[in-house]
Amino acid sequence: MYTYICENSIDGILTGIYTAYADRHPLRDIHLSVGDGMTLSLFTQYIEVTPDPVKAAKVANTLKSRFGQDFYETIYQAAMSGDVPGKSTMDKADAIFETIALALSSGDGTGTLLSLGEPCVYRVFELCRATGREAMHLLGFVRFQELENGILLSEIHPKHHVLPILGDHFSDRLPEENFMIYDKNRRLALLHPANQHYFLADAKDLNMDMIRRFSAGETHFEQLWITFFRNITIEARKNPHLQSQMIPKRFQQDAVEFQAEQQRAASFY
Amino acid sequence: MELASQSDLMEKLAILTDAAKYDVACTSSGVDRKGKGHGIGNSVAAGICHSFAGDGRCISLLKILMTNHCVYNCSYCQNNCNNDLPRATFTPEEICTLVIQFYRRNYIEGLFLSSGVIDNPNHTMELLFQTLYLLRTKYEFNGYIHVKAIPGSDPRLIELTGYLADRMSINLELPTADGLRTLAPCKSRQAILRPMRQIQNGIRENHLLTSHELMRSGSRLPEVVRLSSLDAPRKRFVPAGQSTQMIIGATPESDYQIIKVAESLYNRFELKRVFYSAFVNVTGSRDLPATTGGPPLLREHRLYQADWLLRYYHFEADELLSESQPDFNIYLDPKCDWALRHLEHFPVEINRAPYQTLLRVPGIGYVSARRIVAARRTNRLDFSDLKRIGVVLKRAIYFITCSGHTMYPIRIDQDYITRQLLADRTQIPREIRQSGYEQLSLFDDNRYAGCAP
Repeated sequence: MYTYICENSIDGILTGIYTAYADRHPLRDIHLSVGDGMTLSLFTQYIEVTPDPVKAAKVANTLKSRFGQDFYETIYQAAMSGDVPGKSTMDKADAIFETIALALSSGDGTGTLLSLGEPCVYRVFELCRATGREAMHLLGFVRFQELENGILLSEIHPKHHVLPILGDHFSDRLPEENFMIYDKNRRLALLHPANQHYFLADAKDLNMDMIRRFSAGETHFEQLWITFFRNITIEARKNPHLQSQMIPKRFQQDAVEFQAEQQRAASFY
Repeated sequence: MELASQSDLMEKLAILTDAAKYDVACTSSGVDRKGKGHGIGNSVAAGICHSFAGDGRCISLLKILMTNHCVYNCSYCQNNCNNDLPRATFTPEEICTLVIQFYRRNYIEGLFLSSGVIDNPNHTMELLFQTLYLLRTKYEFNGYIHVKAIPGSDPRLIELTGYLADRMSINLELPTADGLRTLAPCKSRQAILRPMRQIQNGIRENHLLTSHELMRSGSRLPEVVRLSSLDAPRKRFVPAGQSTQMIIGATPESDYQIIKVAESLYNRFELKRVFYSAFVNVTGSRDLPATTGGPPLLREHRLYQADWLLRYYHFEADELLSESQPDFNIYLDPKCDWALRHLEHFPVEINRAPYQTLLRVPGIGYVSARRIVAARRTNRLDFSDLKRIGVVLKRAIYFITCSGHTMYPIRIDQDYITRQLLADRTQIPREIRQSGYEQLSLFDDNRYAGCAP
């Protein structure tokens, strides 16, 4: 048995797949893993794979040209997922590897993703859906605050690596703004300088002081928004349970209108 | 000075949000529009929810009135001219500031602008037009806008506004002309349907225009649109289509009458959506039903379920209800209810039944139906596949077979299946159950008293 240990990223996993195929071991003896939480077993050979953008791109191009853009995007989105609770505990990299192997071995692999009966395909579907759902939520739940220097700043705590999806969306929406979205869980920042492409940057050394200095108008507009938020509720239909079901608490922590509600509730005691 | 004007805007926003909250539509769906590379905003076809209010309703758009002054005296409406409450009017500039500043911070997906009728319909419609015009030109706002057309205003004003908006709507207010006559004596069914027809025709013509070479036919567009040099996407007329809403439970119409009206709005006026608003007696008027037990939320819920059956599941109103059975079953959703009355169509074989037939099976939504059709091309499906696909088996198992077998030995017997389905508490959504509706209605309706959960 051979287990390839890849970096937890799309490039890492695709490089792992490239290497595994290049080594020409029988496919059934190959496993991939993104490493964390793995129990080592005795008769397995572990191979560390260093991510290589060139090799990853080769695999990506093969997937796109043979199975189409949608197929690749599903794989990509699955690769960006973090922890996904579910009955299956199949490793992310392994599920992706097996799915790709399945597609490559069946003549026309374009329909592979529909075979949800295959455990690996269902796992990829689950992971892809989880990332997609969280990204969809965050397109709405991200809140920007305006800093002194005019930069819009947002802090989020996502389970999955959704910054690239948010980056595509917000650069199209706010082309003339300088904005930054800070993924606190991954300590990663998405930076968008006005009228340019966005990029991701390591944010371990982020100046926390700088991102606390808000512009003069910021509180005013936050207050206006909170006023709107409170007044739009129909009291006769009040339903906090439904509200929390629709916007789960983990998103509420980063939304200014819910922070305000919390403070108001706290000030009662 | 600055502070005074700031708190002034705060107060206005409080008043004009409160006055707008009974309007239901908050969807921002229907248009996919890329950003322009400058200015601000784009639009996503699926719509995006930005927050959820204390009542659990989605907040997508900044939903406000231009003004809550109104010359009409509709008795169901809190803004009616006889009601004593604080009044306010936004300036177009104020609205633009709010929209842009909220949009930049990603609070909202766009603007939902409605209004009371100030002075007369034309003046009101002009204010709405001015606001949209300013927002689209000076502020280069390219996000979603839903605007009300004011019945009785100049058709030309409505047309011009339609070129700036994504969605337009005119509220039907009440399901029948009779209801309107009693509760809104200043409004007439005619005056509401006329602009609705105008917008329908506008959308159709624009569709023809845009599908040909748009630029060549530029001279046929209204002057103001050409002058403002708006670029191509903005020359589309009401691209997200029109919608309407009616109030449920203020007047004595049956569910059957209501969905017949909705059906004809979809078929004859090509509406994108009809919204239903459970009546809340805000004016405390004694001529109107008291809503002390809360608004009729379960009824509203059943109507929305039926509305989806009309729009996505190829059902007709006459299949769901009839003169002799004019109201929805409170214990069962309309699809289960229909299926139980038509057991002759079941069971359906998952691996063979056409898409249209799958759509009619309780527990199979249109997404699952599509997945089934795609997946069975390569594999023979069994019950565990269906579960993974997203079929709600606890409802579906009574109506389906996989390769000729039911999941358990099942009697195709109306009483038996009814009992099984009623044991499923999700037939009445938790939030409505918890609001005390269940206890109330158990006594209302004794048809099922023996077997209710």
